[in-house]
Amino acid sequence: MIDVSGLVKSHGDHPVLRGVDLTVAQGEATAIIGASGSGKSTLVRCINGLETFDEGKVAVDGLDLCCTLSRRERERTVRAIRLRAGMVFQQYNLFPHRTILENVIEGPVHVLKLGVDEAIERARKLLDRVGLGDRADSRPRELSGGQQQRVAIARALAMKPRVMLFDEPTSALDPRMTLEVVAVIKDLASDGLTMIVVTHEMAFARNVAQTVHVLDEGKIVESGPICEVFENPQSQAARGLLNHVEAA
Amino acid sequence: MEEDAPPPRPSLVHLTIRSLVIISLLLSAITQASAQPPDTLANVRTSHRLTYGADEEGGAPYIYIDREPPHGRVGFEVELMDRVAQKLGVRAEFSQALWENLLQVLDRREIDVVVNGYELTERRTRDYLPTRPYYVYQLQLMALPNGPVHSLADLSLPRPGGGQWQVGVLGNSAADNYAQKFDSRLVRVVRFDGATNAMMKVRSGQIDATLQDLPAAQYYIRQPEFSMLSLAGPAEGSGYYVMYVRKGDVALRDALDDALDALTRSGELRAILEKYHIWNDAQLSLGGWSKDKTAPVATSRPMFDLTLLRDFIPTLLASAGVTIGLACASMPLAIIAGLFIAIGRLPESPRVLRWILSTYVEVIRGTPLMLQLFVLFYVLPELGILLSPWAAGILGLAINYSAYEAEIYRAGLQAIPRGQMEAALALGMSRSMALRRVVVPQAARIVIPPVTSDFIALFKDTSVCSVLTLTELTKRYSILSNNVGGVVEFGIATGLLYLLMSLPLTWLSRAMERRLDGVSGPLKGGKR
Ligand SMILES: Nc1ncnc2c1ncn2[C@@H]1O[C@H](COP(=O)(O)OP(=O)(O)OP(=O)(O)O)[C@@H](O)[C@H]1O
Ligand SMILES: [Mg+2]
Repeated sequence: MIDVSGLVKSHGDHPVLRGVDLTVAQGEATAIIGASGSGKSTLVRCINGLETFDEGKVAVDGLDLCCTLSRRERERTVRAIRLRAGMVFQQYNLFPHRTILENVIEGPVHVLKLGVDEAIERARKLLDRVGLGDRADSRPRELSGGQQQRVAIARALAMKPRVMLFDEPTSALDPRMTLEVVAVIKDLASDGLTMIVVTHEMAFARNVAQTVHVLDEGKIVESGPICEVFENPQSQAARGLLNHVEAA
Repeated sequence: MEEDAPPPRPSLVHLTIRSLVIISLLLSAITQASAQPPDTLANVRTSHRLTYGADEEGGAPYIYIDREPPHGRVGFEVELMDRVAQKLGVRAEFSQALWENLLQVLDRREIDVVVNGYELTERRTRDYLPTRPYYVYQLQLMALPNGPVHSLADLSLPRPGGGQWQVGVLGNSAADNYAQKFDSRLVRVVRFDGATNAMMKVRSGQIDATLQDLPAAQYYIRQPEFSMLSLAGPAEGSGYYVMYVRKGDVALRDALDDALDALTRSGELRAILEKYHIWNDAQLSLGGWSKDKTAPVATSRPMFDLTLLRDFIPTLLASAGVTIGLACASMPLAIIAGLFIAIGRLPESPRVLRWILSTYVEVIRGTPLMLQLFVLFYVLPELGILLSPWAAGILGLAINYSAYEAEIYRAGLQAIPRGQMEAALALGMSRSMALRRVVVPQAARIVIPPVTSDFIALFKDTSVCSVLTLTELTKRYSILSNNVGGVVEFGIATGLLYLLMSLPLTWLSRAMERRLDGVSGPLKGGKR
């Protein structure tokens, strides 16, 4: 479903990604962990075209994105990829000038050109699913962080994506709100939605993902089924992350 | 209405100062009543200085800066005053002021006498003491030699090729007054702020002719930039240039009269006038002047005259309409243009576009509005682009304000977190849709207060459009208070009218802020 190969990216002469290869199969929930600054966000943002890269290739559901595309080809491919890949941000990024319901129907109505009634019906179902059916007419600022993040998930799901990209969806939340959001994501994973979850919360990764990739200084240093990596980390980086968690 | 005869003066400077002048006019009108008049002639004698007020801005041949090195201050009035002061045994000292405000400056006691092509009028002799005349002026029509006008008489015939004759005059001048006599079906009188402005429009063919004071016409026809114009037909009409002193200064007036009389008799006055090529036979009548012609007319006016307001409120309202029209037509253009400029300057835009737009913003913000209007109206015709006064006014204001609006929006757009754009893009929106549906609406809320205050400022800036021959509210106030009097009455009425225009805007902006803050219903802005 997602195929990343030889991805290289730098900001000026500061290398951020130094040859990343990554494959995510259909229906697989994958976690990417790594220390702060290791390039996790950059990697997922390259996948849906919010960042450009210098070398390598990204393929999502058969759509190939590489650095040799012309501006227009790239534009077209990126938009097609974004329709298949929903994204949830660390800071929720709900539209503050719209109500919760308007946030959720924004994409279906204006991008997918769905009828308003149909979009509302779809939105209400999703809001129910994330436990916020009663807050449809609220404004984002009236909601807690955990509630806002659940709305952001509903907003992404309303586009019926085939893949979901989560960039540290819980790291701005306190433990109780984290639980609400993790429950929603876990629910999606058990439904068989393909997803990449970037996190440095080990418990969260263990909870939702089957596979884990460890990113260190722009390279994937360890990959494998989540239990194996957690039980028996091979790389220095993975051990560091796990120790850090145990010490905390 | 009385006729006034200003010397020619381009208008670049004096309009910008006009709002300040309004305040000082009001203050001087209020304070002058309480001032204890000292004897000016005695002061002149003890200080050895006779200070005369005039406006140097393009005031040839009256008072101006010589084109030839060493670029001293010259003009027939300069030489005349040097001689007059000599006769009094003192030194003449020039003091610069806006032409139309010279009498107010006189009231403020900053000068002793006004000498600047001021005509003898009944209205002025009510409040000031005139001296005997030093020049008999006439009016002269100027036109292109191969154009349709060859004399004043032509203007009473239908215009060949149809339409009205377009005749430029210096607003509020003797020529303006004379032009009232034209048949309004045949002739449209266009009022300019500076004599040379009208000549420029004749040169570019946008108006048929201009009626000017003879000295100005004779002077400018000799200058290279207007030498293609010709004096169309003989000079007509006549009036007198006199000096004015304050009402109490009888002694000074008598001393000036004696000096002028002596200069007229000795032929020195004639020599000066001949030097500036403005002597003609009409000046012979100066010799036989008798004093009772300039005797003051005994009338008085109440301190606060409400009948003035009653009579002229429709006129003021009509000019307020011009102000509103200019502001309301140009602001939407400025808002829309500003938005596109701001979007074009976002970091994602092509470098060349960003560079061009930054240059535009800096140039427009860095130069005065007056200069921009002047270019649109007086310089573009030289390149073959003819804009009507309204078009030039609306366009000029829109261009000027678009640069300021663009900067406001740029700040507004920058204040929206990057995550908003990214979230919209991640939903599959194009950049332009993301701007339109997500970023701009949020930025709009932030920029409403600064844009509103710009709109209010724009209302006041429309006054600069008087340089384009449009008589908006401030210009009308200036004209009325100069001609009819009523500096205080019209000042208060004008101020109130401006306030009436700005208050609704403030309320509107509050209402819009509330609306954007409040609940807007689930389907606001639904489907396109
Ligand atoms: N716009 C930018 N300009 C320069 N350097 C950048 C920019 N964005 C990111 N970087 C650098 O790239 C590196 C990787 O950033 P990235 O945000 O991908 O890390 P991360 O693993 O997501 O970290 P975190 O856990 O803090 O979110 C960091 O060293 C960061 O400083
Ligand atoms: Mg990150």
